[in-house]
Order: sequence, then structure tokens, then C-alpha cells
Amino acid sequence: MTNKAEKSTNEYHVASFVAYPIISQIFAVKAAILAVQGTEIHATSEEGKIVFTIEGHSYKDIGKKMDTIRVHQGIINLSPVYHQILDESIEDDAVNENKVVNEFTPQTHI
Amino acid sequence: MKKLNLAAIASLVIFVISPLTYSINAFAADKETVNTVATLRDHTPIESQKEPNPIPKVMNKDIKQGRNYPMQPPVIPHTTRSYEVNKNNNKCLSCHSRHRTEKSQAPMISVTHYMDRDGNFLADVSPRRYFCNQCHVTQVDAKPLVENTFVDMHTLMSVKIVTDEHH
Amino acid sequence: MSINRREFIKANAIAAAAAVAGVSVPAVASNLITSSDITKLKWDKAPCRFCGTGCSVNVGVMDGKVVATHGDIKSPVNKGLNCVKGYFLSKIMYGKDRLTQPLLRMSNGKYDKQGEFTPISWEQAFDVMAEKAKETLKKSGPEAVGMFGSGQWTVQEGYAAVKLMKAGFRTNNIDPNARHCMASAVGGFMRTFGIDEPMGCYDDLEAADAFVLWGSNMAEMHPILWTRLTDRRLSAQHVRVAVLSTYEHRSFDLADNGMIFTPQTDLAILNFIANYIIETDRVNKDFVSKHTNFRLGTTDIGYGLRPENPLEVNAKNNGKNAGDSTPIDFDEYAKFVSTYTVEYASKLSGVPEHKLIELAEMYADPKVKVTSFWTMGFNQHTRGVWANNLVYNIHLLTGKISTPGNSPFSLTGQPSACGTAREVGTFSHRLPADMVVTNPKHRDTAEKIWGVPAGTVPPKPGYHAVLQNRMLKDGKLNFYWVQCNNNMQAGANINEEIYPGYRNPKNFIVVSDPYPTVTAQAADLILPTAMWVEKEGVYGNAERRTQAWYQMVEAPQGAQSDLWQLVEFSKRFKVEDVWPEELIAKQPDLRGKTLYDVLYKDSSVGKFPLSEIPEDRLNDDARDFGFYIQKGLFEEYASFGRGHAHDLAPYDRYHNERGLRWPVVNGVETKWRFKEGSDPYAKPGSDWDFYGHKDGRARIFALPYEPAAESPDEEYDLWLSTGRVLEHWHSGSMTQRVPELYKAIPDALVYMHPDDAKVRGLRRGDLVKLVSRRGEVQTRVETRGRNKPPIGLVFMPWFDASRLVNKITLDATDPLSKQTDYKKCAIKIVKV
Repeated sequence: MTNKAEKSTNEYHVASFVAYPIISQIFAVKAAILAVQGTEIHATSEEGKIVFTIEGHSYKDIGKKMDTIRVHQGIINLSPVYHQILDESIEDDAVNENKVVNEFTPQTHI
Repeated sequence: MKKLNLAAIASLVIFVISPLTYSINAFAADKETVNTVATLRDHTPIESQKEPNPIPKVMNKDIKQGRNYPMQPPVIPHTTRSYEVNKNNNKCLSCHSRHRTEKSQAPMISVTHYMDRDGNFLADVSPRRYFCNQCHVTQVDAKPLVENTFVDMHTLMSVKIVTDEHH
Repeated sequence: MSINRREFIKANAIAAAAAVAGVSVPAVASNLITSSDITKLKWDKAPCRFCGTGCSVNVGVMDGKVVATHGDIKSPVNKGLNCVKGYFLSKIMYGKDRLTQPLLRMSNGKYDKQGEFTPISWEQAFDVMAEKAKETLKKSGPEAVGMFGSGQWTVQEGYAAVKLMKAGFRTNNIDPNARHCMASAVGGFMRTFGIDEPMGCYDDLEAADAFVLWGSNMAEMHPILWTRLTDRRLSAQHVRVAVLSTYEHRSFDLADNGMIFTPQTDLAILNFIANYIIETDRVNKDFVSKHTNFRLGTTDIGYGLRPENPLEVNAKNNGKNAGDSTPIDFDEYAKFVSTYTVEYASKLSGVPEHKLIELAEMYADPKVKVTSFWTMGFNQHTRGVWANNLVYNIHLLTGKISTPGNSPFSLTGQPSACGTAREVGTFSHRLPADMVVTNPKHRDTAEKIWGVPAGTVPPKPGYHAVLQNRMLKDGKLNFYWVQCNNNMQAGANINEEIYPGYRNPKNFIVVSDPYPTVTAQAADLILPTAMWVEKEGVYGNAERRTQAWYQMVEAPQGAQSDLWQLVEFSKRFKVEDVWPEELIAKQPDLRGKTLYDVLYKDSSVGKFPLSEIPEDRLNDDARDFGFYIQKGLFEEYASFGRGHAHDLAPYDRYHNERGLRWPVVNGVETKWRFKEGSDPYAKPGSDWDFYGHKDGRARIFALPYEPAAESPDEEYDLWLSTGRVLEHWHSGSMTQRVPELYKAIPDALVYMHPDDAKVRGLRRGDLVKLVSRRGEVQTRVETRGRNKPPIGLVFMPWFDASRLVNKITLDATDPLSKQTDYKKCAIKIVKV
């Protein structure tokens, strides 16, 4: 399982986003999101806002993936909402002890 | 305001997911305890008796426990020693009734408790719900003698979601 | 583990983003049930598996598992509520130690009474069972074969068992654990009214002005009825509640008049109330003269102990005549009760006079509608039938009966104590619909319906519950099958009677149970059993309400229902194996047939095809036998009572109703029996018609106070009462396996008065030995728990398999009902 090239960590990262696409390009945007490894689309609002997550193993990994999506020309705005890390080197029962490291301030103008 | 919403949603999610961890654990059935006898007696013969454990303490951490399904009455996460609940007094409601929760920050009793036998809403708690301890119980700090393999519906659903995605 | 945590934080992330986008939370992150097929639960109704209240619950099934239960909003019994046990029904089937293979005691590959439990196949299990049964029948006859069943059997299971034992094996040695529970109530009904079961119904709870609890802790044992009583008391300011018990318990929380009395003196209090009604001239003379007559009962009837016990040797009337009575008139009755003055009753019971008068006034005041409830305090009583008779006296003297709110109401402990044990008649002396084996006409009726030769059903009553244990010990009952109960924990005097009985080398003991109980531990063969919604069935609750449910989930692989076990086992016997030639000669067409053919398949039980089962319904039992066996058993059983004031509706209707209260005549249920206008069997113009007796009159009995079988003395200086708790159902074999219920109250402690603890040098939590003349049990002291006994009495519940309080209880019974008195024996408490 361990892939040295990817510089394995014991961390599991998950971040969630809301993408606001140009409506005519919504399918292309969705395809672009899903083209990135570790992404998943969970919902689309009536106005076309796309709710998706990116999973990865480091800050850098998540950031890189986010940047890949952000540059898509069909996206008007991409808001990161939530980012949490699970340190899997310690087995701990208490789920709620995992710190939410970064709860982005939602961009309410979109 | 938004932040509060998020927090509220996050706490909802905690409710749902935490029993899930438990169920999966219990699922790995330990074959040794299957088809054996005297599981509630710690394998003690009927003619003898194992020395009784000390009386366990009531858990008093005020940490909410997950529910197995939405309709399950929540267990009480604190002691209720010397709480009076009789025809003159209801100590539980002094924190959990609607007009007390702002001060106490205790969870408000659910809206179902304001309904009479025929489902009409009343101005105050329905007398049929008056004795809290008929449904809500404290929990002592003791390990169950036998595991329970009940599976939470959300565990079943997430298994199905995963399966569906593979189709 | 980490998978779950990942899912958990991912769900948080999704929920947060979804909220920002203003979309509903996707299913994976939500507890909202969306319309997707994935989230669909299949809901269906079933009666609760626990007490006799008979709440209806909705059961949610997903992927073949019960995932949720809640109170059925459509049920008139509970209107959406459950007690804490009921709310956790979803988990009772999922204890990890569910049995899935028959287990036989074996050494070197063979059955050995001293061997270790070894998994075997069903085929092997039935082989050894049939061999042992046949061997017993051959050697000692049908009287050496017996069965101990339950008020938790479904109606169909109880009926199939009665047929197998009484017609198939020709033994009346079948009794239910309901014998421990409400045999005295049955005795009371039969003696006073000539027909069993309450005249009133739960609607009385909303109509009464006063409630009296006689030895009933409804707050814990019938919690949903308690919510209705509480609702009534707190909604209508004039309503009053009186609670009588030998110790203070949770029902006292609502009491306007709480009374602690010395054990056994309830008899004196009951007679005092009758005397008070007479002395204050509040007898309803019109009612009494038209609808009652008076009888003087036989006294000094013994205590149902073994005949050599000095108490039995000294008792004058402990034989067949114990239930006799002679007619008297009102004046003689009035004279009889006149000795029960308030001073005498107060002195005997320890209840202050003013409290007794307040209680008596509730009954005496013609304007107050009174409902009396009782459970084990009355029934588990060496004078239990008397106590039942005496409370009816009060209601009859005042005419407060069979009208809304006026109701002497015996509550039952098991989900089908009424439906199965009583109505089907799974007792050693009974047949369906209140008939008895001693009556030749009744036997004849049964034999005709069953299609078996005249003379098949033996006329002699079989061994009742307590006698079964004694006969096991004495080696006279040798093949014994226990289904649906846990008597090694629930029966009295385990040490001297039950355990030696089960382990007697002459006996072969079969125990059917979903879980390895204490009883299973004492067995020779354990059969893994399907439970509750893993099968189809019918239960009957305390208000005569018959309720049906469909099978909703599969039982664990290897477990089979009690019904399947009984019927499948019957295939192992040809009529020639069980009936003498002269019996077979009366009906030669039965020659060569199996009991399965005669009793089930070829009888009217077998006449409903599988096509009558809705296609989308599970029914493993019926599909295995090839006919709709539950319907066949129900309809054949119902034919006993139709037209005889026990009318049941057609089977299919029960699947569409939240139960119906029998008699169901012309499709309509009956709420109050014996009252013209509400009971179709009451004769026109009668007003009240107690048609159970030929003269249409109820009987008022003159019966005295007599002391308990065992009372505290210098050495054994405390009364011991046993009983139940809210969170566990009976022996806890289901509820102790639900973690939340276990953690609510894991251990049976001994509840005692702080002063009683102090004089013995004890403190809360101390390890003690409870010692009686029969044995000892260890537990810890509780001085501030939910039960608050008076000085001189302690209470220890019996739900805890690790602390068997019944090792020390006394197996004294009511000589009339044969029901054990679990509420009174003498013990001492010693620090360990």
C-alpha cells in the first residue's frame, strides 16, 4: 500500500467545498471535479451550486487538488468550507477529540 | 449565525454516527461466546456463585450518548440521585422543560412530550409523560456481560451507498 | 475503526458544505430519511414482547434486520408510547450469544447426563429426544412425560403444545410459567364469576375517579398503563390514587394515600372494607339482591407444600375440599366480616386507622367510580384466590363493576398470559375456552374438535408447575420439555427442588430458548429458538385484546420457532407409539399415522393453503410444513370458544387490527362484560348478567385472614419479598443483553431500610449473604434505591442470573391456585 513517491503520512484529510459554476458549463465542471483523484460530489443546489469533498493525505495534497479544480474556466467561485485531519497513527476512540483545524469562513456573497 | 448552523449540523451528525462505530465493532462475532452456556453468569455453575461486583457508579459526565434509532429515548448522562419526581414535584423538568432550558442549557424535552393521547398539542408537558424514568434511564459504569450485535440503520445504508456506487 | 472515523469527519465536512450551498444534507451525512430506496425502512406492527399490557409497536426492518421500534400511534393501548424496555425491543434479538445449534450433553460422542454441551444437528437432537420420550412412555407411561410452557408462547404455539401433550402423548403434565403469575387470578375469576378474565378494559383508566393498587407496582411493571393512570390523576383534580404494598416503591410517587402493610394482612384490610361498607349502610342492596349470592368458604387449607411438611400435616382442609363453600345469607356474611373492625385491621396490618378509613370510603361512596388493580402482590400469595375473591366482594357489595371506571382489574405479567395460558388452557387441569379435563363433557368436546378417539384425553389433572419440579426430583417425571421460560431462575426453592430435579439422572431435560439461560445451563439438550418477529403469532393481553403479527425477519440460521419444534417433533411418533390398541381400535383410520398427521396436517389445522399467506410476507414455519399452520391452529382453537362467550374474529382480521377484545360478536369487540348493552351475552332485561354461573349471579365469599406459611422469627428475622424491575423483563434473558438496559440496572441488590442495615453493622454496598432455611445467596446492600422497605422487610429482585434469589425463596403455594408465594418468606442477612 505504501507509496514512497507520494510520501506517505499517517494523516487522513478531508475538505469540503461549494463550487459555483456558469450554469451552461455545469456538466463540464462536474466532470473536471471528478477527474481529480479523491473527489466526490454529494449534492447540487437548484441554482447549480455543487457540494463536493476532496480526500487526501496532507495539506499539500488537498491544496494541489483544489488548485487543479479552481482554475477551471467554468467556475465562477470556489469556496472551501471545511477541512479536518485525522491522525491515524494514534488509535483513539473519541471521535470528537479530532480537532477541526480549519473551518473556512463561508463566502456569503455567492 | 451561519457558524451556529454549522455547529448544530455537526452535532446532529455526531448523534447519528457514533452508534455506528459501536455496531461495527460488535459485528466481529467472537465465535467462542456463541453456543456456550451461562454467559450471564460468567460460566459459574448453578450450585455456586461468583462474588458480586461492587455497586457500579452512575455515569455523570453529562456527555450525550448516541441513539440507536431516532425514536429511542435518550439515556440520562448524569446522576439523578435524590431527584424527586412525584405528584407535587418534578426535578427533571426544572432543567429540561421548555422555559427552563435557556437558563439550564439542558436539552429541552421533545415536542412529543407536549402531546396528549390523541396527538393534540398542550400548553405544557402532557401528564402521560410525567414520570420521566419510565423511558429515560441513567447508565452505570459497567461493561455489558454480553455484546449486542444490533446494527444501526445508517450502517446498513452506508454499506448500500457504497455498493450502489460500484454498480 | 479508522474507516468509521473517516466517514464521520467526512460526513461533517459534507454537512457543512451542504449548509453553505443551501441544499439538503445528502443521505450519507444525514439522519433524514430521504425518498431514496436505500433509506427505505419497512414498517409493520407487532405486540410488544414483554408484559401483559399488550402495547403495539411499529417495527422497522432493513435488510432483514430489525433496526428500529417505536410505540404504535394507532394502538388504543399505548397511543405511541413505550416504556424503556419497549423502546429497546429492536435489540433483544441481537445478543451475541444467540443459540444457533442444538447442544447435547455428551461424552465420547454419546449422550451423557454428566457430559459437556456439544453442538449436534436438529436431526440428531430429535433422534435423541424421541428415543428418550419413547423410552419413558414405555417404561413409566404418559404420566412420566411433561412440558413446562409459557404465557410467552404465541396462541398457536400454546395450542399446538396442548394438543401434542393432552391428545398426542395423553398426559396432562403441561403447565405454563403463567402458573407463577396469575393462577390465583384465574382461581378468583372462576370461583366468583365462573368464567375467566377481567370484565372491564383499559378504557376504565380514563373513566375512574379513584384507583386502588393492591400489591401492584404499576409504575415499574405496567408502565404504559401507569402513564394512563398518571394522565388521568394529573388531568382531573378530583381523581385519587391509593397504593398498598408491603414496601414503598415507585407507584407511591403518585399516591394520595400510600399504605405499607405487614405481609399477608391484606386479607384483613379487604374484609375491613367490606365491613365498613355494611356498617355505614352503603351496600348497593338492589344490585346485591339481584346479581349476587353469598358463600362461606372452607378454611385452614394448608400451604401447598410437600405433604410431609408439618404445616400440611396440621392443616385440616388441605385436600380436595379446600375450594369448597356453602351457601350463606347476607346477615351471616355481615356477621362474618364484622370482626374486621378498623382497630383490628389497623393493629394487624400496621396501617393507621385514618388511612384505612380513607381507603374504605373510596369504595363505599356511591358517587366514586373505583378501579382496583392488582398483580403479584395478590396472586403470589398462599391465599391468592381468597384475595381475589375478597376484592370482588367489595366491588359486588357496592355494584361497582362492569361499568366504565368501576372495575376490579387483575393485571397480567406476560404478553400472552391471557391469550395463551388462560384462553388456550395450557394448564395441567385445563382445555381451551375455560374447559377442564375433569369434566367428561369438556373432554368429549375437545376430542371431537381434535378428531381423536373418545377417551384420548386423560381425566386426571396433571402436575402443575411446582409439582413438576417435585416430581422431577422424586424421579416420577422423566421426560421434560421446557419452552419459552427460564424456570431455573424464576421458580422458587431452586436449591432443594428445581435443580436436583433437573439433574436427577433418571430425567432427560430439554430446554428451548433463544439464549443460554440458567435453565438451559441445567438442561441435557438445548434447542436454539426463534423469537418474536422471527415468526408469526398471536398474543392476548390483560384486557382480552387479541393481537397478531407477521414474521418480519429471518431467525438466525439454525434457530427454529417453538411451534416448528413442537410440530416437527410430532413427526417422530406413530399413534402406535403413544396410544394403546383399544384407543386406536375406536378409530382404525388413524392406524399407522404420525402424530403430525393426526394432530396437525390432516386435522382442520392443515386446511388453509399457503396461498392464503400474502406473497410478500415471510412465514418460514408455514412454508416449511406446506400449509398456513398459524391460521389453521388459530381457527381450530377459536372454534372452542365461538358461541360460548369467548368468540374470536376470523384470523385474517387480526392482521389488520390493533387487536380486538373478545368476545367479538358480529364483528364487534366487547368492552365491559356482564353488563347488558355492552356485552352481547348478557340476557335482555338482566341489567347485569354474570352468566359464568348457571344462576347468572356472582358470588360473594366469606373468607378469613390466615397467617403466612413462613414468618420472621428470632433466627430468620426478616421478611423477604422478591419481584421485578422496570428495565428488565422477568429473568432478564432478553433485556440483560441490551447494553443500555443492562447499564441502567445491572445487578440485583438487596433493598433494605437504613436502620435494618445499621443494626447489622451494614452500609450501602456491603457484601452480604441472604440466608433462609433453604439456602443462601450473596449480593450487596442498597439502602437508598428506588424501593424503600419498612424495618423488618427486604426486597431483592430476581432478574439477575448471577444472583439467584430463588435459591432461598419458599415453594409454598396457594392450595387452590397452586401459585407460588414469592412475596413472603423468612431470612436473615449476614455480612460476608
